[in-house]
Amino acid sequence: MTAEFSQEELLDHYRNPRNRGTVEDANFSGQDYNPSCGDRVAITGLIDDALVIKKLSFSGSGCVLSQAAASMLTEVCIGKTSDQILHLSKDDILSLVGIPLGPTRLKCALLALEVLHDGLKKYRI
Amino acid sequence: MLFRLFKLNVGCDKSDFLHLGGEMNFKRLRGDFPMFGKKGVPKECVYLDSAATSQKPLQMIEAISDFYTHGNANIHRSIHDLGEQATTKYEEVRHKVAKFINASDVSEIIFTSGATTGINFIASAWARKHLKKGDEILITEAEHHANFLPWQRLAQELGIVVKAITINKDRFLLGCTNELHESSEDESLYMMSPGIDNEFCSEPDCNYFDSLITPKTKLVAVMHDSNVLGNVWDQDYTFLYTLIERAHQNGAKVLIDAAQVVGHQKFDVQRLGADFVVFSAHKMFGPTGIGVLYINKALHDEVEPYQVGGSMVHSTNSQESRWRKAPQKFEAGTPPIAQVIGFGSAIDYIVENVNYDELKQYQAALCSQLIDGLESIEGLEIIGNVPRIKQGGQMVTFVVDGMHPHDIASCLDMHGIATRAGHHCAQPLAKALGIESSLRVSLHLYNNSRDIEIFLNALHEAIGQIRQKLQII
Repeated sequence: MTAEFSQEELLDHYRNPRNRGTVEDANFSGQDYNPSCGDRVAITGLIDDALVIKKLSFSGSGCVLSQAAASMLTEVCIGKTSDQILHLSKDDILSLVGIPLGPTRLKCALLALEVLHDGLKKYRI
Repeated sequence: MLFRLFKLNVGCDKSDFLHLGGEMNFKRLRGDFPMFGKKGVPKECVYLDSAATSQKPLQMIEAISDFYTHGNANIHRSIHDLGEQATTKYEEVRHKVAKFINASDVSEIIFTSGATTGINFIASAWARKHLKKGDEILITEAEHHANFLPWQRLAQELGIVVKAITINKDRFLLGCTNELHESSEDESLYMMSPGIDNEFCSEPDCNYFDSLITPKTKLVAVMHDSNVLGNVWDQDYTFLYTLIERAHQNGAKVLIDAAQVVGHQKFDVQRLGADFVVFSAHKMFGPTGIGVLYINKALHDEVEPYQVGGSMVHSTNSQESRWRKAPQKFEAGTPPIAQVIGFGSAIDYIVENVNYDELKQYQAALCSQLIDGLESIEGLEIIGNVPRIKQGGQMVTFVVDGMHPHDIASCLDMHGIATRAGHHCAQPLAKALGIESSLRVSLHLYNNSRDIEIFLNALHEAIGQIRQKLQII
């Protein structure tokens, strides 16, 4: 089995995603598509005046890694500031998913982070 | 030299290779590919991704290495012997390619960095100059992005209309319904489904072609074979040939993307009759970074240089320049000399070892073995015309209900099996078929029954485990 199918936490997030849905009163959002395998992630969120994330949801479809990573990311980002989130990097995602990833699979895992960063940057403009 | 003395066996025996009683000894040929001869690796290489790139015979690898070791020099401009010899070797390959595809003149063979470059070349150096707003380009909706995006870009720049022959969603072949509808997303792209039943119409010159090609059609740019579905025309490509003929009768030019066929089938550009043809060396045992753009000599004056620089100019001054004649006109700068030499060796390998009828039979038999195994898997759907693939295909693409192909491919990778998952650079096709991504198994002469057996066993295991882990009922 691949590492991601051995990693129970990842599978749990895929089977029982946290924060799947859409934030009704969202004030920022983003979405993107991973062309290498057709994963999609969309993120909606509510950020307050102190730039703290109050609500965060994701939707999408795709491989286990892309969807589980999105679920894990939304879980850790609620309550964080946009600065803290904008400083999250590829290494943080690798720690989050807990398995080693080659460059192609890394793109799947990073999709949600890129979407979240994109949404937050557009909000700040 | 060591490889030649010790032909390494990957543990397959005679029964892994289908014996067709012909000239080709597939087991011996597999031994020519060092990728399959690695000693002491924990997993042997089950390589089922030849449509992405083919594996390489040792003679091709050595040809490049020999050139760099003993013969490296720039070409066309040197007075020294090293340069002259390099030039001779390079131009010999051009002659070799011309003979291989039966071009009428060696000047029709232009070396490029691959099929994608070749199509961009024609879009930029011919179409941009000769097409105007309102003109039409006819493609299919199954094209690789390389034969889709250059025309979309031209449409957006010049107001050209791109029309696409649709794929029948049940039979995975071109044509077969009677609709004409616009794409909702891209206003410049019109989908055309001509009123013909692909399998049963024996009169290819009926209304079918009149509906596709109009007086405004200036270019027909279509694939010979799909990198996802294989042959999407009729069995003998009669429709393709007739389409080319009708295009010419209406004053349109024709470009054929032959990337998936050269090396698998006999390829004759004169018989095909196209004006432009592209293919890549790396899909036919050659190195990456080199391909061919065939330009019929009747069009040599109509096509501008794609790139300008050294080697392609006859004379230049501060006001103007005069280009050299084809093929030099179309090859600016120092070309990929070593890669061309490697390409020559790859062509030698095919000429010396491949009987196309036997290869087709062999690949089709492996596809049949594969399809028979796949059809027993619940929730698995083959994306492609099964009878067509069993008759003469070299690839099988499929999806599994509730499972992402990337996850399956990752599991297969754990077993040392290389397949491809995704949209295969054919997003319009994926969208037309209503799938996000699929898994493709593609074969060449070095594959064998054991590869298929290992694949099927691993696939069963992967699907079972994924279903269990994801709790898919």
